[in-house]
Amino acid sequence: MINMNDFLKGSGFIQPIWIFVIVITVFFSFMSEYFLSVGNLSNILVQTSTIGLIALGMTYVMINGNIDLSVGAVLGLAASLSVGLQDYGITIAVIAALASGLVLGAINGLIVWKTGVNAFIVTLGAMIGVRGLIFVYTEEQSFYATNFAFSDFGTASIGPFPVLAIIFLICTLVMHLVLKKTGHGRNTFAVGGNPEAALDAGIRIGRHMMINFIIVGFFAALAGVLLATQMGAATPNLGRDYELWTITAVVLGGTKLTGGYGSITGTLGGVLAIGILRNGMNLMQVPAFYVLVILGVILISVLIIDQRLNVHASKGVSI
Amino acid sequence: MASIEQGKQAIMLSKKHKAGLLNFLSAQGILVFFLICMFAFSLFSEQFLSQSNIMTVVRQASIIGIIAVGVTVVIIGGNLDLSVGSMLSFSTVLVVDLHDKIGPAGAIILMFVLTLIIGAVNGFLIGFMRLNSLIVTLAMLSAIQGLVLIYSGGKNVDIANQSDTWFAFFGRGYVLGIAVPVILFAILAIIVQVVMSHTSYGRRIFAVGGNPAAAVYSGIRKNWCVFSTYLISAFCVSCAALVLGSRVMGSQNNVGQGYELLVLAGIILGGTSLLGGAGSIWKTIIGVLILGFIQNGLLLLGYPYYTQWLVTWVIIILAVWLDLANKRKRLFTTHS
Amino acid sequence: MLKNAAIATSVFMVTTTIAHAEDPYRIGITQNNVGVDSYQTTYESAFEQAADELDNVEVVVLDAGGDVARQIGQVRNLIQQRVDAIIIWPTNGQAVIPVIRQAHNAGIPVVVTNSKIAEAGLEYIAAFSGPDNVQQGASSAEMMCDALDGEGQIVQIAGQPGYTTAMERSQGFEERLAEACPGVELVETQPADWNREKAQRVMENFLTKYDDIDGVYAGDDNMGVGALNAAKSADRAEEIVFIGATNFAVGYEAIERGEYYGSIYQSPVDDAEAALQTALDVLSGEEVPKMNFFETPKITADNLAEFEKPVF
Repeated sequence: MINMNDFLKGSGFIQPIWIFVIVITVFFSFMSEYFLSVGNLSNILVQTSTIGLIALGMTYVMINGNIDLSVGAVLGLAASLSVGLQDYGITIAVIAALASGLVLGAINGLIVWKTGVNAFIVTLGAMIGVRGLIFVYTEEQSFYATNFAFSDFGTASIGPFPVLAIIFLICTLVMHLVLKKTGHGRNTFAVGGNPEAALDAGIRIGRHMMINFIIVGFFAALAGVLLATQMGAATPNLGRDYELWTITAVVLGGTKLTGGYGSITGTLGGVLAIGILRNGMNLMQVPAFYVLVILGVILISVLIIDQRLNVHASKGVSI
Repeated sequence: MASIEQGKQAIMLSKKHKAGLLNFLSAQGILVFFLICMFAFSLFSEQFLSQSNIMTVVRQASIIGIIAVGVTVVIIGGNLDLSVGSMLSFSTVLVVDLHDKIGPAGAIILMFVLTLIIGAVNGFLIGFMRLNSLIVTLAMLSAIQGLVLIYSGGKNVDIANQSDTWFAFFGRGYVLGIAVPVILFAILAIIVQVVMSHTSYGRRIFAVGGNPAAAVYSGIRKNWCVFSTYLISAFCVSCAALVLGSRVMGSQNNVGQGYELLVLAGIILGGTSLLGGAGSIWKTIIGVLILGFIQNGLLLLGYPYYTQWLVTWVIIILAVWLDLANKRKRLFTTHS
Repeated sequence: MLKNAAIATSVFMVTTTIAHAEDPYRIGITQNNVGVDSYQTTYESAFEQAADELDNVEVVVLDAGGDVARQIGQVRNLIQQRVDAIIIWPTNGQAVIPVIRQAHNAGIPVVVTNSKIAEAGLEYIAAFSGPDNVQQGASSAEMMCDALDGEGQIVQIAGQPGYTTAMERSQGFEERLAEACPGVELVETQPADWNREKAQRVMENFLTKYDDIDGVYAGDDNMGVGALNAAKSADRAEEIVFIGATNFAVGYEAIERGEYYGSIYQSPVDDAEAALQTALDVLSGEEVPKMNFFETPKITADNLAEFEKPVF
């Protein structure tokens, strides 16, 4: 029984979310003939890459014991900049867009570090305010990339593999290694697990927090630029609610909101789970109204199962 | 490092000189800020402080305010409720749709019962199952929105005969010249404030939110306390739905979308800590009113509606920061 | 019968894209945001019903939930499934162009319904089917002009910012108003996102800000009725002319009561059937004009009896 428990908890070799991913993959491949086609699978990867990229950064921030609610707005701003500034050349537009993510991440991180205000509040403010920045910049207009080279990049593939999916998988691998193998990764866990102990051990907790906010800001901006290449355009409302789905995916992947625990592999599973569920239910033509209910119920069920498996980890409920 | 230490000393020094003023400003900072804003807007817009404008703003703020009263209780108990936006859509669609089918009295009763059941589901999952409130109410936000759409089939609901139903009282009525939504908001706020600060129940909610472990040792039934806060939140949402449904005499399925954020912003701005165990309804009222007046003032001055978002960003962080700085007697944190 | 025969022959003619000639057409539709208002919901059921009545059509009905990125994903999925035609109700007139181009390049004809896409995308679509929103705005301006006798001060409550229908109606209204009615001044425009409660709040703010409002133009009746609600509460409804677009049941009733001046009659059933028919015409190889507008007449108290009350 203990072995079974260990196995399910993921201390063996497979995390519970991946069992879930396998189950729904099998389920949908029986329900729809299109599901397992190469084209559909690469579609799923491309579609999950947006939330997926943000989720990589969010995993760091959450392991660190913080949260970032502003990612959807940062994504929207980066997308608008990457299309709106193309008069100065695509390269400059993309660089400016990515820089906006770095800067906003740094601002969030610096405020959390220096003022000590809860990250939830700081980024809730930024979520509202950065959306305001987008509207000020775009004056409510959508931008359209007149250069099809920009949107062709979003649909390009190398062999059967779409470029966006490759970028996402490479970033996933890099972020996995950074978290596992570097000092920054270890300190991120230490700070999230027990900030006071980390402080006593001489870890510069403020700096690590800020770096992680910069990371998530960068990935939100990268996701925004890539999403803009998929659409060849940007709309001022782009990225609304993405923070909710990102947090959902990361939590599904086993990362604890209380900090100190989590993994990139789990996050990848969580992102894929949501992507596969959406895609599969589309193929099965589940009415959109029911999809909302089903996603909500599944999320709560996974939480309950996860908690039953980790009884000792259920102590904290506050954010 | 040295320069940071010097900076800190400089701040401490300057603090000594202005200690009295600073203490006052940071204790009542948000109120002072509120008054300065009001004054500034009134300089540029003559309508801003007119009686009709003030009544309009307070009436518009009362729906958010009513919900915020309930969510404040949840937050004092150490949890969050993000599902109130969808819940508001649910309750409003329900009461409007049932109004013509079973009459206003039946519609109101059924709406309260069903909304409280949803609140009980939240409360059960968070209070008894001990699941994380952020994620549970996030999942409920999605699930309830789906339920609304399934119930209405995606269509708007309307009350056919709007001129002679007493249901109009809640959103459109006046008593002694004061709009009923404002009166409802005031009554709810007073009752909940009294309960929270003058009853043993209120003290237990503070205890559970402030120090759960100690609360359990002292014999408080924590599960029930948390459970009950979600019932209060659902009750407040029901009252808000009553006002909203009666005001519009119809409802779209997504009418409550985004309210959870406005409510949270108001509560945070008022100064209630998200960590639980502290906060007050008065603060929440002030926070909600500030948001309402800033939005209104900027519109009157002719700024586009989205400028209020930028202002909200700045003042939310400033308000919480100054509050914290006052408590630790330091502007910045010391760790590196 | 004749039609079926014609379609059957055309199926034989296009066997290159369809494996089995006797298979029905598979048409995928991705809608903007079902459930956000009754128009879109009625459209969806009308579309499904119209498809059910035809033996040779099988439809895949999807909803983007207002999210551009999700809609793009859905079109990709439809391309992947090799449907015979794609009908798209764009969430945004510009952002969907690249994916429409992709469908076009994959040999799948695309019909845009209800809300136009930007100029640059027109070469990739087989046809557009829907109302002429610029014309609708212009018609509303003419009604406003008649109602106010060419003089007054008005406000506008617009639909969702960045959404083509909202922009075209505003554009049509503002241009025609300036041209036909220089004496009527549009003093302010605020968006209310197609939301009645928001429109009510916007109107309340207008009423405090302006002591003199002679008319309100709303991007649809749902918002127009919200504005009417606000004016009634402030006892100023009598002095104000309300004009909307997309006549809703509540707007129809308000015109009946004499509280609302007029609107534009636009049936989601006509809209849905026109879209399906256009797609079928394209598939059967008929010459289809690029722009297919269905009739959306003015509706006021004078001709109210000629129209059935909208079901939404």
